[in-house]
Amino acid sequence: MTDGAGRERTRIFRWEGIIPLVLGVAVLAILWLLFGEREIRNTLAEAGTKALGAQLDIGDLDLRVAATTVELRGVALADPFDRNRNLFEIARVVVELEPKPLLEKKIVVKRLNIADVRTGTRRATPATAVTGPGFAPSALAAVQRFTKQFNVPLLSLTPIDTLKSLVLDPSQLKSVQAALALAHDADSVKVALESEYAGLRLQETVDSSAALVARLQGTNIRTLGVEGARRAVADVRRAAARVDSAKRRVEALVTTARRSVDSLQAGIAAIDDARRDDYAFARGLLKLPSFEGPDIGSAIFGKVTIDKFQQAVYWTTLARSYAPPGLLPRETPGPKRLRRAGTTVQFVQPQSAPRFLLRRADVNVAMGSAAGGTYAFAASDVTTEPAITGRPTLFAIRRAARGSVLDSLRVTGMLDHTTARVREVVNAAAAGVTLPSVAIPSLPYTMNPGRGASELRFVLDGEQISGRWAVRSSQLSWQQDPGRARRLNTLESLVARVLTGVNQLELTADVSGTLKAPRLAVKSNLDRQVADRLRAVAGEEIAKAQTKVRAQVDRIVAEKTAPVRAKIDTLRSESERRIAEARTRLDEEKRKLDERLKSLSGGMIGLPRLPGE
Amino acid sequence: MLTLLKLLRSLIKTLHSDGSPGQIAAGVALGAALGLTPIANAHNALVLLLLAVLNVSFAAGMLAWGLFVPIGFLFDPLFDRLGHWLLVDARSLRGLWTAWDNIPGLALTNFNNTVVLGSVVAWLALFVPIYFLARYGVVRYRATLGERVKRSRFYKALHASQLYNVYSWFRP
Repeated sequence: MTDGAGRERTRIFRWEGIIPLVLGVAVLAILWLLFGEREIRNTLAEAGTKALGAQLDIGDLDLRVAATTVELRGVALADPFDRNRNLFEIARVVVELEPKPLLEKKIVVKRLNIADVRTGTRRATPATAVTGPGFAPSALAAVQRFTKQFNVPLLSLTPIDTLKSLVLDPSQLKSVQAALALAHDADSVKVALESEYAGLRLQETVDSSAALVARLQGTNIRTLGVEGARRAVADVRRAAARVDSAKRRVEALVTTARRSVDSLQAGIAAIDDARRDDYAFARGLLKLPSFEGPDIGSAIFGKVTIDKFQQAVYWTTLARSYAPPGLLPRETPGPKRLRRAGTTVQFVQPQSAPRFLLRRADVNVAMGSAAGGTYAFAASDVTTEPAITGRPTLFAIRRAARGSVLDSLRVTGMLDHTTARVREVVNAAAAGVTLPSVAIPSLPYTMNPGRGASELRFVLDGEQISGRWAVRSSQLSWQQDPGRARRLNTLESLVARVLTGVNQLELTADVSGTLKAPRLAVKSNLDRQVADRLRAVAGEEIAKAQTKVRAQVDRIVAEKTAPVRAKIDTLRSESERRIAEARTRLDEEKRKLDERLKSLSGGMIGLPRLPGE
Repeated sequence: MLTLLKLLRSLIKTLHSDGSPGQIAAGVALGAALGLTPIANAHNALVLLLLAVLNVSFAAGMLAWGLFVPIGFLFDPLFDRLGHWLLVDARSLRGLWTAWDNIPGLALTNFNNTVVLGSVVAWLALFVPIYFLARYGVVRYRATLGERVKRSRFYKALHASQLYNVYSWFRP
C-alpha cells in the first residue's frame, strides 16, 4: 500500500512473527512435559523445608492441570528437634484446588485426601538442618531461647560425709552483681541530681534578688518619684517572678529526686530477691541434695517435660508467623533467583480469598505402622489470613482401637488469630499408650513407664503460657543402664532403692509464666517418696549444711551491699537537705522582696503567693 | 569472549539491517525490559510477543536484552528501593496495589515484588529516552561509520554466514 507521496507505508504488525513464537512456546511446552513436574516437586520440597524448618521430602508429584489437582507420593517431614526421625510419612496426598483463586496466586483447597500415614519413623539419612533467614529458623531460635530459660535443678546425691567447705566467689553471686550495678546507678543518680541542682541557678536568682533589695534599701516613693517608684515596683515583681520560677524548678527537682531514690530503694529489694537464687547457687556448688519434692521432680522429669512443651511452642510460634492477625500488607522475602530477590508484599482485601485456605478437611487415615487403625482427622478454616475468615482454625484427631499399641487418642486444638489478641489451645489425651522412657539423671537407671495414660494441655494466650502434662502408669519398671553403670555412694544407693521399689507413676508437670519468663513445676509420686526418704536419712546433716551456706551468702551479700545501702541513704538525706536549703533561701528572698514592695507602696501592694506558700 | 563476539556481530547486523532507525530503536526500548527486569515474569512474555508481532527490530530487542542484563543486575538495589517505596512507603498507592493483587490474572504479574515493580517502573520511565537515544545512535552510525564497516572484511564474512539467514527471518 502506498500513501499519497508514493512512500510505502510501514506495517505496524508482523503477523508472521507469531510462527517462531509458537514454535518457542511448543519447545517450552515439551520442556514442561519433560521436566515441569520434577521442577515443581523440587521447588515445593524446598519451599516446604524452608517454611516448616524441617526437611520435607516428596518422592513423586503428579500434576493434573485440568482438574487443578496435585497428587504427592512419598511425603516425609523430618522432626525439627530430631534429625534422625520423621514426624510423619505419608504414602499419598491428593489435593484438589479451586481454580479461580489460583489466578490470584491463592490456594483454596477444595478436597484433601491422605492415605497411609506413619508417624515417628527413623530416617535412613539424617535430615538437613534448616538455617538462614525465614520464619522457621527464627521460630526454632525462639524455642531454644524459651527452653534455656528453665532452671532445671540437678539431682545431686553427693554423700553428706564428703561435703567440702564452701568457698564462694562474691562476683558469682547475683545479689552482689545486683549491688554493684545498683552502686553504679546510685552514682549516676547522684551526678544527675547534682547537674539538675546546678541547673536551678539558685545562686544567680538569690544574688539578683539580693542586689535589688540592697538597691532599694532606704528608698520610698518620695525619694524615687512616681516614675522611679513604678519602675522599682516592676523590678521587684520581675525579681519575685524569677524567685517563683526557681521555686517551681525546685519542686520539680523534689519529684525527680524522690522518684530516683525510690527506684534505687526498689533495687535494694531486688538484691534481696536475688539472694534466694544465690542460696540455690551456693547449695548447687556444695551439691547438697534437696528435700523439696518439686526440685526432685524437676530434676528427674524436667528435660522430658520441656521437650514436650517446646514442640508446642515451636508450632504455635510458626503458626503465628504464617497466620498473623490483621490485614496489613505483609512483607516476605522474594523468590530465590539470580537477580536480587527483593521483598514480596502481600496485599489482602477483606472481601477476597485468603492466600491459603483449607475450608474443611475430614480425613480418615489408615495407619500403616504398629499403631495401626484408623485415625479421623478434621480441620477447619486453616488459613494464612484468619482476619478474612473471621473464624479460628480448629483441628481434631481421634482414634479408638482397643488392643493395639494405642488404645485411644484425642487431640483437639484451636488457633484463634482473628483478633489482635492471639490465642492457641491444644488438648491431647492418649490412653493405653507406650509412654517415653526417662533416663534418671545422676543414677545409672532408666525408668520405663510402659503403657499408661498421658494428657497434655497447652494454652498460649498472647505471651502468657499455661500448660499441663499429666502421665499415669501402673506398669512402671526400672532398668539399669549398662553404659552408665558404676559403684553408687550411700545416698545414691538409697535413692535407687526407693525409686526401683516404685511400680506406679503419677506425674503432673505445669508450665506457666510468659514466653520470656516461663516457670516449670513438676510433681510426682516418685519425688515425694525420694524426698521423704532423704529427709529421714540425711535431713539433719543437710539442714545444717544449708544453714551454713545461707549464712555465708548472707555475710558476703551484707558486706557488699552495706556500702550501697549507705550510699543510697546519704543520697536521699543529702538531696532532701539541699532541697530544704533551697526552699528556705528562696522563701527568704521572696519575703525580702515582699517587704520592699510593701515599703515602696506604703503597704498597699503585696506579692502574689504561690500555691502552698 | 564468545558472548562478546556474538553481541558485536548482532550489533553490526542490526545496525546494517533494512530496518529504519525508529524500528531498531523501538526494538531496543522493548528489549531493554528483558534485561532490566527479572526475566521469568509475565510482563516479559508480553514484551516478547510485542517484539515478535510488532514491526520492530527483533534482533535489536535481543541485542538490548544482552546489553541491559548487566545494567539490570547493577541497578537491582535501586529497583528494590524504588519498588519498596511504591509498594510500602507510598501509602496513597496502597489501594491500587491491594486491588491489583486481588484481581485474577493481574496477581500473576508479580508486581507485588519490590524488584519486579521497581525495575518495570524504571523501564517504563526510561522507555522513551532509550528509544530516542537508540534512534539517534543508529542515525549517527549510519551517517558516519556505516559505509566504512560495510566495506570491511569482517562485515562481508558476517553477511555470508549461515546465521544471517536465521536472523533475516526477523528482519524488519
